Amino acid sequence: MDAMEKPKYDGSLIGKRIPKMDAPEKASGKTRYIHDIDLPGQLHAKILRSSEVHARIVAIDTGAARALPGVHAVITAADVPWQRPIGVAKDHLPLKGDRVRSPRDEIAAVAAESEDIAAAAVKLIKVEYEPLPIVATAEDSLKPGAALLHGEDLIVTGPDGKREVVHKASHDNVAMTFNYGQGDIPNGEAESVVVVEDVFRLHYVTHCCMGVSGVIAEFDASENLLLYSNTQVPFLHKREFAELLGMDPGRIRIIQPPIGGGFGSKLDIYPFEPIAIYLAKITHRPVKLIFSREEEFMASPTRQPVLLKMRSGCRSDGRLTFRDVETVHDNGAYTSWGATTPFVMMQTISSLYRVPNCNYRTRAIYTNNPYAGSFRGYGNLQATFAVEAHMDKLAEAIGMDPLEFRLINAQDPGEVTPQGMHFKSCGFKDCLQTAASRSDYQAKFSAARGKWNDGNPVKRGVGMASMLHVGGGAKIYPSDGCGTIIKMDDFAHITLITGASEIGQGSETVLAQLACEELGLPLSAVTVVNNDTDVKPWDVGVHASRTTFIAGNSALGAARKAKAKILAAAASKFGRPAERLDLREGCVIDKATGEKLIEIGKLIRSLHFSDKAELVMTTFYYEPPSHKQDKEFRGDVSAAYAWATQVVEIEVDTETGIVKLLKVIGAHDVGRVLNRLGIEGQIEGGVVMGQGYALTEDLIVENGVIRNPNFRDYKLVTAPEIPEIDVSFIETMDGEGPQGAKGVGEAPAICVAAAVANAIYNATGVRITALPFTPENVYRALHSNSQPPTWIAAA
Amino acid sequence: MSPQPATTGRPAVAPEEGVAAIETYAAPRSLAEAVALLRTGEATILAGGTDLMPQSKTGRARFQRMLMNVRHVPELRGIRGTQDCVRFGALTTITELLDSALVKNRFNALWQAADHFASEQLRNAATIGGNICNASPAGDTLVPLLVFDARVELTSEVNGAAARRTLPLAEFFVGPGRTQRRATELLTAVEVPLPPDGFFSEFYKFGTRPALDISAIAIGFGAVRDGQRLRQVRVAFGAVAPTPIRAAKTEAALASQPLPAAIEPALAAAAADIHPISDIRASAWYRRELVRNVLRRMLNNVTQN
Ligand SMILES: Cc1cc2nc3c(=O)[nH]c(=O)nc-3n(C[C@H](O)[C@H](O)[C@H](O)COP(=O)(O)OP(=O)(O)OC[C@H]3O[C@@H](n4cnc5c(N)ncnc54)[C@H](O)[C@@H]3O)c2cc1C
Repeated sequence: MDAMEKPKYDGSLIGKRIPKMDAPEKASGKTRYIHDIDLPGQLHAKILRSSEVHARIVAIDTGAARALPGVHAVITAADVPWQRPIGVAKDHLPLKGDRVRSPRDEIAAVAAESEDIAAAAVKLIKVEYEPLPIVATAEDSLKPGAALLHGEDLIVTGPDGKREVVHKASHDNVAMTFNYGQGDIPNGEAESVVVVEDVFRLHYVTHCCMGVSGVIAEFDASENLLLYSNTQVPFLHKREFAELLGMDPGRIRIIQPPIGGGFGSKLDIYPFEPIAIYLAKITHRPVKLIFSREEEFMASPTRQPVLLKMRSGCRSDGRLTFRDVETVHDNGAYTSWGATTPFVMMQTISSLYRVPNCNYRTRAIYTNNPYAGSFRGYGNLQATFAVEAHMDKLAEAIGMDPLEFRLINAQDPGEVTPQGMHFKSCGFKDCLQTAASRSDYQAKFSAARGKWNDGNPVKRGVGMASMLHVGGGAKIYPSDGCGTIIKMDDFAHITLITGASEIGQGSETVLAQLACEELGLPLSAVTVVNNDTDVKPWDVGVHASRTTFIAGNSALGAARKAKAKILAAAASKFGRPAERLDLREGCVIDKATGEKLIEIGKLIRSLHFSDKAELVMTTFYYEPPSHKQDKEFRGDVSAAYAWATQVVEIEVDTETGIVKLLKVIGAHDVGRVLNRLGIEGQIEGGVVMGQGYALTEDLIVENGVIRNPNFRDYKLVTAPEIPEIDVSFIETMDGEGPQGAKGVGEAPAICVAAAVANAIYNATGVRITALPFTPENVYRALHSNSQPPTWIAAA
Repeated sequence: MSPQPATTGRPAVAPEEGVAAIETYAAPRSLAEAVALLRTGEATILAGGTDLMPQSKTGRARFQRMLMNVRHVPELRGIRGTQDCVRFGALTTITELLDSALVKNRFNALWQAADHFASEQLRNAATIGGNICNASPAGDTLVPLLVFDARVELTSEVNGAAARRTLPLAEFFVGPGRTQRRATELLTAVEVPLPPDGFFSEFYKFGTRPALDISAIAIGFGAVRDGQRLRQVRVAFGAVAPTPIRAAKTEAALASQPLPAAIEPALAAAAADIHPISDIRASAWYRRELVRNVLRRMLNNVTQN
């Protein structure tokens, strides 16, 4: 045994800079994404999408496609009369039979021997359309007499031939509404010395995952379904696929290969997934369907575009009095998670700062545009953009320093907001002060204001914005839990089987760290298994910045049970009370003396090979102590809340409109840093995503058509524009968090655009209320050649 | 790089379609062989492929029956200076331009254009000949090449022998993506006269980001300085007309009086020289504003130095 490699120990793993466990595979190009998986006998699928934006389908002719050699199946809605609707409102059939509502709409699909043949067959399908009027904006959609997007019952025919209305005809184009209120707006107004009002317009952007969407579906000989899927919510989707297919969920297994980016885009089922399944069912072959980049732009979800009207007021002492908000969301043609982003927007509007009186009304409106899904931040970027603009405006109106104004209104630990959120740990004021002092915010803010009229066409400015986001899960389902199984083998190697999903956020590494810390083992002693619904225990999925917190607590629980078992065995073997023992550096030790009693592996082997053989294998299910909101949207929906302040420094060239982001100074209340390298990466990546939202990214949709479905014209931030990023961590040691940690996944992307807007004002004296701040948009605003957004007349 | 119009959001119909037209592939090893293969005009020429490849995916490129890779034709390579002229082989890559001391010392605007061109990977593959033959109004080397009075050399096979003709670059462009090149001709080189002593030049490219962007406008400027007077003034614009253009009115305005008095008349003249359109990269109005503001800034810099 001495010749064997020995692990190295360097004390506690918490807070260290630990490379992600999957980094070597990814960096060496060995990771097998779904694109790299090919099953024996597999067919390739391609989808025919609509060439029209809004039309009735008169006829579909698939004859020539079916006749093409190498084609195994061509399907249209007529071939799957039993298909059922998908999406959050179940208003969406995967294959459209009589009507298309957007150019992404799926009309037919082909499974063939190769991608080339499938593509050729798709081109042979002829569709005859009868155009319908295009509803191009939410504003048009609300006008009296606008074409109704879902004005007819959606009917399917079950396998038994029974017709069923699956989505009822609606008499208007309103897809979803939310209304929230606290306090009394007129009272708040009466107490105000100043009131400000603006309309904000937030644009379309999309996730731009480097790995395009894809799925492989296969039925085995017993008709069990195996899906290779990039889903972020495997267990929820297992159930949903079962409903879609009329199958027993127990016969569906989902394997999640490593994913080339999620960011919320894989929270819903999209038509391509059931379509691949139908084709697999019909052909009795594995069917692989992978998007082209153009399809990814057209047919994956977007961030929700929002028109937002806000009135806010404050007293002369700086205290906020009221906030009255109304939003109209362009829902696109079908309803996905985007329609529910008001859940999160509401939290920022009601509770980022203390505001006693608050109203929030919102409607998601059907149009012929792309439909919005969930996207990192989930509405919070939009809400924060408006709220933080008004924090600056109100401060200016009463002549108060913007930092001081925020400190007066910022939440403190222990507060319970009118919406019912309980901020058990809250480092908000620390975030504000740390970001301000590290950026020299106040001095720079005043200096920039003094230079508005100095004649220099290139201006500098600083801007500040803060955010509140769930940091301990979000109980939007009856359970917000996650299960873990820990299996220790006879060499003390841990197999950590977690319900959580890895989507590049580094969860594997953090979960392994937490378990190892508890069990006194090195990271090299862990294998994390997290990608197979037949193996892993239940979990809600990866969303709401919840994995480190929820799956972390779950992993800790299972590790603690394993530890107790090992210590109990050691206690009886060495005749010392278990309380006196601990696990460290791969050994059972005596706490008082530090004496190493036995290697953990050796102890486990003695358990295995004794006459009363025992395995060290434990399970744990963690359910956070949070609550589902009631019908009024009140309730402590998360077990912890995350806070952050970001200050940005920018340069504006007023002769070209170019805004350069020079530096981002962030202070994040993350509870506690678990993996410093991981959390820095998470924050830097989020900042860059926020930068793209603020400055460069713009999915241009005109009359329902995406005009720039490619990376040439859809401009992601590239390496040279990435600013210097200075991050401070505020460690509030959350009482419920694993080792004190809170969620951080979405946080860093949320305030960048809001801070940049404030910085542009600080640099130039011009307040721009519409995104994105692309050079032409900024130039127009600076030179009075654009209209600020206006509220919808028909609303 | 395609100029306007932008692709629509329609599905990318069978990307293979264009490429599927190709029946044979040729990789000639000499110029004679290459022009012989071009005799019937039924070959698509492949250099770096950085335009051809993406265009084949969007269906913009029409492929001939033969795909002819000219990268192994030695006569198309190299930068060679003579007494009064520099000859850039058509296969000269953007990286080679950047690495050339001759380009850096004598053709600053061309060097700057190479510096702002796409990204490292693209610069290694993209060729000057491809940039010219693609004839995008926003092609970055075209603007400085116009400033330097470049001429293109075209070679074809006539009666079994290679025949050359040259013409000024300014006359080569006909419209977006359209040139005077005949289907039987290979662009073999670009010849650029050495600018007179004291000639200085500048290039400015406007994109929304510093790397990997297609110019929304580009400006090339060159002149010989004589106190506050400019002589031999040459101004060229990219992405503000169907082809890259020399700006005759602007040049005349700048030559007619000393700086800084010449600046405002030159800006007015520039407004008459350009004919921008609106596309997804910029509106015509904004392009006009940019040309005015950026040209003013360039001329102010000249005045002050
Ligand atoms: C991501 C990206 C970024 C880009 N950024 C820029 C940029 O910043 N600035 C810019 O100007 N361009 C840019 N481009 C466009 C492209 O890289 C350039 O136009 C490049 O110079 C083309 O050269 P090539 O050798 O790759 O041409 P190819 O693609 O090989 O050919 C282009 C065209 O010219 C023809 N052709 C090529 N050589 C000859 C020849 N010797 N004789 C006759 N015909 C010939 C081909 O048949 C084809 O029609 C970009 C392209 C991409 C993909």
